[in-house]
Amino acid sequence: MILLEPHNVIIQTTLGEKIIKPSSLDVAFVDYDGVRFHLSTPQSKTLLLLSMHIRCWDELVKYGALEILQREYGSLLQPQAEPEYNVSLVIDLEQIPASPEDRSAFILSIALFKRNALAAPFELAFKNQKALESSGSGQGELMEIHYRDEEAIYVQASHDRVTVIFSTIFADETDRIFGKVFLQEFVDARRQPAIQNAPQVLYSNRDPPLEIRHLANLRNTEDTGYVTFVLFPRHFTPANAPGTISHIQLFRDYLHYHIKCSKAYMHSRMRHRVAEFQKVLNRAKQEVATTERKTVTGRTMSTR
Amino acid sequence: MSLLAPIICDNGTGYSKIGFAGNSDPSFFLQCLPNCNCYSGTCFTVISGPPVPSKPGQIASKRGVEDLDFFIGDEALANAKTPGFGLNYPIRHGMIDNWDHMERYWEQTIFKYLRAEPEDHYFLLVRPQSPVIVEAPLTQSLQTEPPLNPPENREQTAEIFFESFNIKGLYIAVQAVLALAASWSSNRVTDRTLTGTVIDSGDGVTHVIPCAEGYVIGSAIKHIPIAGRDITQFVLNLMRERGETTAIPPEDQLRVAGKVKENYSYVCQDIVKEFRRFDAEPYKFFERFEGEHSVTGRKYNVDVGYERFLAPEIFFNPEIYSSDFLTPLPQIVDDVIQQSPIDVRRGLYKNIVLSGGSTMFQHFGNRLKRDLKQLVDRRLDASALASGSALKSSGVEVDVISHKRQRYAVWFGGSLLASLPEFYTSCHTKAQYDEIGPSICRRYQIFGSAT
Ligand SMILES: Nc1ncnc2c1ncn2[C@@H]1O[C@H](COP(=O)(O)OP(=O)(O)OP(=O)(O)O)[C@@H](O)[C@H]1O
Ligand SMILES: [Mg+2]
Repeated sequence: MILLEPHNVIIQTTLGEKIIKPSSLDVAFVDYDGVRFHLSTPQSKTLLLLSMHIRCWDELVKYGALEILQREYGSLLQPQAEPEYNVSLVIDLEQIPASPEDRSAFILSIALFKRNALAAPFELAFKNQKALESSGSGQGELMEIHYRDEEAIYVQASHDRVTVIFSTIFADETDRIFGKVFLQEFVDARRQPAIQNAPQVLYSNRDPPLEIRHLANLRNTEDTGYVTFVLFPRHFTPANAPGTISHIQLFRDYLHYHIKCSKAYMHSRMRHRVAEFQKVLNRAKQEVATTERKTVTGRTMSTR
Repeated sequence: MSLLAPIICDNGTGYSKIGFAGNSDPSFFLQCLPNCNCYSGTCFTVISGPPVPSKPGQIASKRGVEDLDFFIGDEALANAKTPGFGLNYPIRHGMIDNWDHMERYWEQTIFKYLRAEPEDHYFLLVRPQSPVIVEAPLTQSLQTEPPLNPPENREQTAEIFFESFNIKGLYIAVQAVLALAASWSSNRVTDRTLTGTVIDSGDGVTHVIPCAEGYVIGSAIKHIPIAGRDITQFVLNLMRERGETTAIPPEDQLRVAGKVKENYSYVCQDIVKEFRRFDAEPYKFFERFEGEHSVTGRKYNVDVGYERFLAPEIFFNPEIYSSDFLTPLPQIVDDVIQQSPIDVRRGLYKNIVLSGGSTMFQHFGNRLKRDLKQLVDRRLDASALASGSALKSSGVEVDVISHKRQRYAVWFGGSLLASLPEFYTSCHTKAQYDEIGPSICRRYQIFGSAT
């Protein structure tokens, strides 16, 4: 698995199971970026209530998350969310599309609940860019999405591009170094002809990029990194936009996933090395000391 | 950020049970297709993929991501036939055998299935009971606890979780203690005690583990070399003898036997009477299993007969299956308790807790209780007779606890314990690990019991 998938596997598999065999249910689980889900059947076995808690919900609503969820889920979306959660869907298992393809498409769309909520600022930025394009200059609002305690995404549209900036914190010194190497590799990879159309990536450690330098609440410590993506209109044509959004919003998790995998890879190399050294050690024989030992008077000793 | 639920992992020989604390089932479900022998909420502990390159020279030239190209669980089984992919079982006899594979297995469980950022979570892992050094299970009659459960195992696990994944905190729990905690959910259990005898029967081995106030009485543990895998084989043998298997394609036979075992078997009270009942009214008791050829889709029918009650009977009359191992399970449970310190024996008889897939047979608990009670009473009578005293002992209370979550008892116990507030203080945190090192994980505080 190289890319993280945009959909939630637990929602997908649970729904798939419950459609075949409804039964009462009450599970809580998570998704990346501290999102909490609760899937339950408070009323009857065929009415599933799926609720989501997202840390940055208020910001997302400001950027139009509700409209997007309304568009995606229509009447499934509940006017009143379950207490302690931000937003709820009710899925009636008796009104699920019948054909296998429609059914799995429906299940997938539910499993994309978090992705769709988090798509709001990106869709808005793409729309703003279109609006600014005609005027030929100017900048849209700098949208801040504080999706984790100390990390945020900044999205800004301007007349010819959309800039997306991630701030991320490396909890561990080793992670920071791996992250740096990894992001450098990202910048280099773009030089290959095959992927020259990929968005431009910039990485800076500690110093925030110009676009957000004026913000007051930045944390400029050694363990902070900033990754900037520059998206041009070709990246968010109507055909490309959904894919771009799915990939880009998981970037932080993607980065940390690969740091963990690199460490796992290093560990297996280390284990391999140790095993090799151990083989050498096992082959080694102890030398038997055969120096002649003499007494003061010059007589040698011999073992009997 | 409000605390996110701790993650519970029980990596068994056959299946891994993984999910979030506070839920009543392992909260990640794998789809249960008709022709896939998975159980919801579990996932095969297998990993498939090309091997990690072993020659050091290869690494410099390689900048790819081949090491990420692998599958775990059901997907691994589905992809096992892809050229270049092979199946690997990182856990053997309950112990981690290949750390490279295990580390990658965990990597994918966390990131692909649980979709959790490990840095935000506490983890509760289950320590396998003991390294069972039985290669060919039936060659030796009875295994007692091998001297040590190597602590390095726990240390290596801690190393992976703290250093690769930077997790917040870790608790490595003892399997038997979790199984005891799981039984608190049964309405027959009134006090939350961690004293009792755990019978854990999974896929590979069956353990009988006495526990006093959360501490395992290591010297008295016994292992029985009969578990799920053997029962399935036994069912298959029986069906073969009757000639039922001719209809089943050879590659599906073991799977069908497994299904028959899980869906139709039960423990009878008296084997002779049961045979008679079957012979008198075969139509009432014989069941019919309908299967479908996994390739051609051809339908076939199999009659299910005596194996319905004979399958689990090998726990109570092992001689019907094996000629090496002959001690019935109730006898072993009695031996284990008799070998434990005298002051805890009453507690051990009173709270016998079942855990693991192979204790799921209907009436398993009742039969065990009855047979064990007979053994105990007979011994009491004999000693009363020998001492010649007129005073009769008040008797020993024997109780076997079955409950709804037996199949994942260990996981469920973990889920319960990790939802208690004491869980967080009993964990070792990343900061403590950095200060002291992996050896910190040799010791964990016992918590949660009400006594
Ligand atoms: N309803 C059932 N009746 C009988 N046997 C069952 C049932 N459900 C599952 N099993 C058997 O239980 C076994 C799996 O149990 P479990 O998941 O506890 O094992 P494990 O934890 O992977 O292995 P171990 O504990 O030995 O390392 C399989 O052999 C399966 O066939
Ligand atoms: Mg187990």
